[in-house]
Amino acid sequence: MSFARTIAGGGRAAGEIFAATDLGKSFGEDDAAPVEVIRSVSFALARGEIVSLVGPSGCGKTTLLNLICGLLAPSRGRIAWFGRPLAGTPERVGYMLQKDLLLPWRTAVENAELGLQIKRVGRAERRARAMGALERLGLAGFAGFYPSALSGGMRQRVALARTLAPDPEVLLLDEPFSALDFQTKLLIERDTARLVREEQRALLLITHDIEEAVSLSDRVIVLSRRPSRVITEHRIALPGDRTDMIQAREAPDFAHYVRTIWNELELH
Amino acid sequence: MVSASDGAGPAMLARKPAGRARRRWRGRLGVFAAQLALLALLLAAWEAATRGAAVNAFLFGSPGAIASALIAAARDGTLFTDTLVTGLETLAGFVLGNLLGTGIGLALWYSRFVSRVLQPFILALGSIPIVALAPIVIIWFGTGFASKLAMATLSVVVVSLVIAYKGALGVDPDQINLMRSLGADKHQIFRHLVLPASLTDIFAGLKLTVGFALVGAIIGEFMSSDEGLGHAIFKAGSLYVISKVFAELAVTVALALVLSALVHRLERALLPWRHDLQ
Repeated sequence: MSFARTIAGGGRAAGEIFAATDLGKSFGEDDAAPVEVIRSVSFALARGEIVSLVGPSGCGKTTLLNLICGLLAPSRGRIAWFGRPLAGTPERVGYMLQKDLLLPWRTAVENAELGLQIKRVGRAERRARAMGALERLGLAGFAGFYPSALSGGMRQRVALARTLAPDPEVLLLDEPFSALDFQTKLLIERDTARLVREEQRALLLITHDIEEAVSLSDRVIVLSRRPSRVITEHRIALPGDRTDMIQAREAPDFAHYVRTIWNELELH
Repeated sequence: MVSASDGAGPAMLARKPAGRARRRWRGRLGVFAAQLALLALLLAAWEAATRGAAVNAFLFGSPGAIASALIAAARDGTLFTDTLVTGLETLAGFVLGNLLGTGIGLALWYSRFVSRVLQPFILALGSIPIVALAPIVIIWFGTGFASKLAMATLSVVVVSLVIAYKGALGVDPDQINLMRSLGADKHQIFRHLVLPASLTDIFAGLKLTVGFALVGAIIGEFMSSDEGLGHAIFKAGSLYVISKVFAELAVTVALALVLSALVHRLERALLPWRHDLQ
């Protein structure tokens, strides 16, 4: 995996990958009664960092994600990627949802190489990189399987391999693990945390699972009900190996963080 | 697929695959035998009824007479040429109609504006009974192959268009967003997502329209023709040779079954990821 990072666009904060400033979104703005989904959200994401956005269901988390990766245009506010304003969809950003969205007519490895194929990477190279991503997630033996022959956890890993194969610097994940059983979830969370922490990528995780947010993240940003705004931002300081999801749960402060965030979600 | 009774012990486990295949084969054979028996029973009852004069053989034909009509048609070669002519008309109309329909249907996905403009026209065209067009088609395309091809094509094209368009529109918007997030342009989204995703619907359309193409070809032959199964049925009907009508009908049914089987084969070959088809 390449560590070479091209530093372009000077004048940005050191290591800052992403910044949203006073972001707002309303739907149906031309109508008499527009629906305001996001009122004002500001936050930043730095290299090597894992940040979670938690909020009550229906708080516009997915809308926020679509704004961040340029699939929707904001009504207000600014988005900057790598210090430059967002135009189109950002480069070197991998996006993954709760639904694995695998293409049923492609085998696991063909699904994993989709992003590379779209970027017109040559056949041999994209196959090699997709195989590498599958191997890393323990799926080398299943490369030739169609998604219909894989279990839910394996399908989600293939989706993760598809996200990782183009070697993104930033991962944007929208409840990617919520359909998995507990054990599989912890294993994939561990793999993901390693990828981010050991290779100085960055991860923005949208979730409603408070335990997941606390065990995985450096910071947890709590959003209010619709129209969403930031209620608080918690810096999570847990001792030990931060890629070990069980160890994180055993830390003395873990329950405290979870309860505090839970209370905040209750109140707002 | 292992039923509870299979898990009786290690000895059973070892024999299971062969046993399962044999049992499935035996099951199929049983169904087939029952179907043959039912058909034989119906034919025998029919034959007995006409022999016993309970049913008028002149008006209702009889299996024996149908068989002789088939043999006669096979001997003088008309059975073969009629089947070939109708088969070619149907196949050509089926292919042309689906190429046009699927092509236009998928193209409409590209432009929401064009599709909204064209929608009422497509609906209007789709609601015309194709039979009503037959007289004009004969005037425009003559009494030969071209008019039958046109009838078969017209019977297929609108259905195929609507199915392909609906298939393309039915693609999961999240999947489109994923493609966009990977940097795909509209052409790439079409090629890698919309086209393959629509194939399931398009094949459902093919199975449906192969029958429509045959109906179109036969209607064309009814209107004006000098060969083909429709021609033979029409002529025999107007001469009150009922057994001959039934004989040609049986051949038409056989042709329809063969064409559907071909489409099914094609689907299995082209959609290897559909485990339910394999």
